[in-house]
Amino acid sequence: MLRNLGRRITAVGLGHHQNAHHHNNLAVVGARLYHERVVDHYNNPRNVGSFDKNDPTVGTGLVGAPACGDVMKLQIKVDESGKIVDACFKTFGCGSAIASSSVATEWVKGRQMEEVVTIKNTEIAKHLSLPPVKLHCSMLAEDAIKAAVKDYEAKKSKIQGNVEATPVEKAAEA
Amino acid sequence: MASLLRHLSLTRTRRLLPLSNPPLCNRSSPSPQPSRPPRGLRFSSSLSQITRNLRPTNSRVFCSRSLDLDDAQGPAAIDYRSVLQEDEFHRLADETIQDLQEKFEEIDSHHRLSFRKSFLEYGDCIQIDGLDIDYGNQVLTLKLGSLGTYVLNKQTPNRQIWLSSPASGPSRFDWDQTSQTWVYRRTKAKLSQLLENELEQLCGKPINLS
Repeated sequence: MLRNLGRRITAVGLGHHQNAHHHNNLAVVGARLYHERVVDHYNNPRNVGSFDKNDPTVGTGLVGAPACGDVMKLQIKVDESGKIVDACFKTFGCGSAIASSSVATEWVKGRQMEEVVTIKNTEIAKHLSLPPVKLHCSMLAEDAIKAAVKDYEAKKSKIQGNVEATPVEKAAEA
Repeated sequence: MASLLRHLSLTRTRRLLPLSNPPLCNRSSPSPQPSRPPRGLRFSSSLSQITRNLRPTNSRVFCSRSLDLDDAQGPAAIDYRSVLQEDEFHRLADETIQDLQEKFEEIDSHHRLSFRKSFLEYGDCIQIDGLDIDYGNQVLTLKLGSLGTYVLNKQTPNRQIWLSSPASGPSRFDWDQTSQTWVYRRTKAKLSQLLENELEQLCGKPINLS
């Protein structure tokens, strides 16, 4: 397990000089040949980064189990109409997990929240032609999207709840 | 209302506190597996960062002792006091995987026999082209030709068996002490039943794995 971890990489802060290293790393692991889209997203992950998780327009989805090494953070920025105007991710995991989350951020951008929760792991897996053992990575991406939307909605209802609760509390005190 | 919420959050904290675990990558804290080699600094710093962020929302505990079917979609540090002992996990998981392997091989040999028979008698039988069973590196692979590939593997850190199915996709099974089976918390599906149902659908013949 820890030997595997050594091979695992993170998409956080990929620099040019690190790209070469990462590429080699994948080549060592990739005797089974990943689809070119996996390699592309792995070498040039889209939308890597973070938003302020305390920003009320931001929803944060954090999924995975730190102990097995796969942790995925996907964040969405949502406008008044419920449209996702921006998305970003940070993933600690294998190439397929990074590619899955990178694809997920691309797919959620510009779409309504209710639309993106219908994104299925099978669609991501198909798009990336993931091998059977790597279906779990696409599942993680699906979970991350749902968790981000859930987090945004929880935040929103909490803010609304506070607004509504304040007069009631005042009334009770009075 | 606010005080109720406060009370709830306190209760929650109390419930969660004994379960929270030091981040596994925090090398200064005692680790349940002291023989862990140190990880790369980059990884451990980013992971501990994430793990720190996880702790307040930690609502899911990979505990195989009691079956918590509320599968919150948050990541979780693993509480090694409440999960199966590692050797117990290996015993149960190996038993299950070996058992399935034997059953698959039985089906395979039956398939070959009935195929030969059908060749002679044109009888009805299970026909799967490219059926192949392989067990290596603790991973059981069942190839059903064009129908797809099943992969079963142990995920020791969270005491789970992971299944990749061409029919239902990925799922993760925890050991449930009550039913003495591997159960996928999200759907409550039992591993052997799920496989039986899917294989029956795929092959068009009843399959018995128990």
